[in-house]
Amino acid sequence: MRRIGIFLAACFCLAAFTANAAHTQVNLLLSADTARPGDTVLAGVDMKMEPGWHTYWKNPGEAGMATKIEWQLPPGVTAGEIQWPLPEKLPPAEVTTYGYNDEVMLIVPLTLATNLSPGPLDLKAKVSWLECKEVCIPGSVDVAASLNAGMETKASAVAAAIEAWKKQVPTLFDLSVSAWWEKPANDDTRPLIISFPTKRISAEVASADFFPNAYEQFEVQAPTETNLKDGEIRLRKFVKKFSGDWPNEISGVFLYHAPHYGTNAFEIKFHVSSNEPAGETTSRTGVAPVSNLSGQNTATGRMPVLPLMLLYAFIGGLILNVMPCVLPVIALKILGFINHAQHEPRRVRALGLIYAAGVLASFLALAAVVISVKAAGHHAGWGMQFGSPEFIVCLTTLIMLVALNLFGVFEVTLGGRTLSAAGQLAAKQGAAGAFFNGLLATALATPCTAPFLAPALGFAFAQKSSLIFLIFLFVGLGLAAPYVVLSWNSAWLKFLPKPGAWMEKFKIAMGFPMLLTAVWLFNLAADDYGTNVLWLGVFLVLMSFAAWIFGEFVQRGRAGKDIALVIVFLLAVGGYAFALESQLHWREPVTVPDSAGTSRAAPDGIAWQPWSPEAVAQARATGRPVLVDFTANWCLTCQVNKKIAIEIPSVRKKLKEINAVALVGDYTHFPDSITAELNRFNRAGVPLVLVYPKNSEAEPIVLPAVLTPGIVLDALDGAAH
Amino acid sequence: MKKTFVLLTTMALALAVQAVEVGKPAPDFTATDINGKTVKLSDYKGKIVVIESYNSDCPYCHNQYQTGAMQALQKDLAAKGVVWLLVNSVNPKNFSHRTAEQAKAEMASEKMDVTAWIDDSSGAVGHLYSMKTTPHMFVIDKNGVLVYDGAIDDQPDPFHDPSKAKNYVSGAIDALLAGKPVPVAQTKPYGCSVKYAD
Repeated sequence: MRRIGIFLAACFCLAAFTANAAHTQVNLLLSADTARPGDTVLAGVDMKMEPGWHTYWKNPGEAGMATKIEWQLPPGVTAGEIQWPLPEKLPPAEVTTYGYNDEVMLIVPLTLATNLSPGPLDLKAKVSWLECKEVCIPGSVDVAASLNAGMETKASAVAAAIEAWKKQVPTLFDLSVSAWWEKPANDDTRPLIISFPTKRISAEVASADFFPNAYEQFEVQAPTETNLKDGEIRLRKFVKKFSGDWPNEISGVFLYHAPHYGTNAFEIKFHVSSNEPAGETTSRTGVAPVSNLSGQNTATGRMPVLPLMLLYAFIGGLILNVMPCVLPVIALKILGFINHAQHEPRRVRALGLIYAAGVLASFLALAAVVISVKAAGHHAGWGMQFGSPEFIVCLTTLIMLVALNLFGVFEVTLGGRTLSAAGQLAAKQGAAGAFFNGLLATALATPCTAPFLAPALGFAFAQKSSLIFLIFLFVGLGLAAPYVVLSWNSAWLKFLPKPGAWMEKFKIAMGFPMLLTAVWLFNLAADDYGTNVLWLGVFLVLMSFAAWIFGEFVQRGRAGKDIALVIVFLLAVGGYAFALESQLHWREPVTVPDSAGTSRAAPDGIAWQPWSPEAVAQARATGRPVLVDFTANWCLTCQVNKKIAIEIPSVRKKLKEINAVALVGDYTHFPDSITAELNRFNRAGVPLVLVYPKNSEAEPIVLPAVLTPGIVLDALDGAAH
Repeated sequence: MKKTFVLLTTMALALAVQAVEVGKPAPDFTATDINGKTVKLSDYKGKIVVIESYNSDCPYCHNQYQTGAMQALQKDLAAKGVVWLLVNSVNPKNFSHRTAEQAKAEMASEKMDVTAWIDDSSGAVGHLYSMKTTPHMFVIDKNGVLVYDGAIDDQPDPFHDPSKAKNYVSGAIDALLAGKPVPVAQTKPYGCSVKYAD
């Protein structure tokens, strides 16, 4: 059928060119049905090509034409640049092009003005493209979609599909590329060597390539000779010059393929030197110089060496003990030690070691998760598990039950047994309890990136799997160390308070910070489930009721234990099935597209604008200092920083005084662009606060993870000069 | 077999003369036109020669002809004694390929004014000149030196009005006839890829 169609098209081809091409189907999709003024909604121009047909990338290559999108948008809606998913190199070799087979979705961010009035918005665009198989046919079509400007952000049914395509868009990444001309120019074609240090790439690279952007005056030709050296990937390409001088800056996409890791691609830009740089500079790692403010010893600008990083990891782990999100667990741990101090020292030592084992086991499990996430081709971020709504639901329930346990609603240790049996059981319980404490401390420590931990983990994420394990192991050792030391040096244990009746009151009092933690987690869940989070609350109450029945009638009761147990079971299963499954739909959270709503400004607070590399560049181009705050809802340290050191009158005043731009990057849902930026600063997670000086040549000042008003004000002062 | 032949021919030609490069002698070739006549580039020494890589099913070529811009240029240059060699390198399996009869009909219906339509279905001339796209234009001066290699004009779009674009071929030839250096000697060609045999 299609052959006949092609035949007819060939005969009447002259008439056919102005008609719409039939081999590509184009649809306009939006990531949200309803969005608030100030939000950024992602538009996806979905192009489905018939088998054999292809359309082109922003640089079509030696032939072809990049797809164009001309927007017709209502006032108050502005379209950003097209974000192009990674294309394929298309044959034949003599005329290589870059394009897409089967399907592609071009992503365009649409920004709604903050003063946009509510109501429906008609978004229209004219999409024109060139589709080729054995022939090339230009196509063009008008597409439209509607968006409702309202009071809330409601993701659309296709938000996940758009996000999936967005993940295929290469992210900006400073790979510290060096490039030079292999020899002086003899004619209009000149060989170019591009060298990529592999220190920032954890996997064994099987192949690599560079897809250049399109330039008018020259062309980086398609053929690539790849030379995989130790610690370096070298690409040899030819540049053909049409006019003007030889280029001294080239940008495009670097991609590499690693077995089991898939293909990774990054936007890069590099300077072309006239000859090969000296040996040392080729292996330059490009770690951003870290300001002295952060107190980190990287003044040499070299890659921190492994022993130093392991030390950081260890100290980071130690500090985690006093970070806000671990405090409630410390309460548990102190209780545990007071309980055990009365036993013989050998047992105390054993429990200290078991606690350490629990911490280490969970850190190693975390390392395994990070490695598998890396393997899945994601850029893992510290605190990753807090981005998973299912994890939050489980943890909220767990913390709620721990609080009830502290209140004495039910016991973890079983009572009412014979003395000898109780002794043995207590030993078991003690061991299990210590191990559990270790696990819990780790789970809760995750969203807090302590000052020394950040660079250590940043380093770990860019390393091979064995090193990730090592780094996590040292963080775990740091977290567990004080307790191991206490348990071995029994003299120190004497400083601990004597057990007594106050313990029960203390235990109950400690239940309240635990309850607060549960409330905080519940609040996080609200982000993922919207108003439906009510059903998580209902579930928590049902579970609490079940816990009470369990404690009151199964553990402490005399008769009817079996019936009580059945009721507990029914409550737990029924509560789960009704509240979580049928009402909350807890395994299908409503995900809010990232960056949505981050640009909302508080009435008289700092005028935050959404972060993007372009926004930074734009502000610096106008000679203004820039404050960047990478934050996330689940990051307690970030919230504390904001409260006490950023969103405060003196900082607001200073920002106005020096005419600084304030940008906020929301890492709650792990957008790849921010992961890449964090990696660039050798951080694996938030908080990361940067201050870019007014002088656009100067390197940014990296602030420490825990902030005081003085640190921020000093950095801003420094940036203004 | 055919592929091997093309490859060998191309390699032989490539060895005989250096790769096509502006400012150097244009590689010579011998080919057959749609009337069965032998066309040898070096026979035209003393005249300015335009070489055009062509495929009428390609919207970029089509735009130049449908608007009459290409024919006008051909007519104008013919009057000035310029030789115009049209090269069609579409492989015989592609439906954009034209048999001699179809080509003659197309030449008449499009009112083309060219010295010869070279049947290059083997791709030998196309590969020799590293023709990337249709159109892809070359201008050779009276001494046989390549003076222009690149796009037809500065509007890489299949729907533009060629009369409003800056035509690099006429710009080069005007300069040659005036005894001046060619203003733009090289550009990035745009269009559909040349449909060479696999």
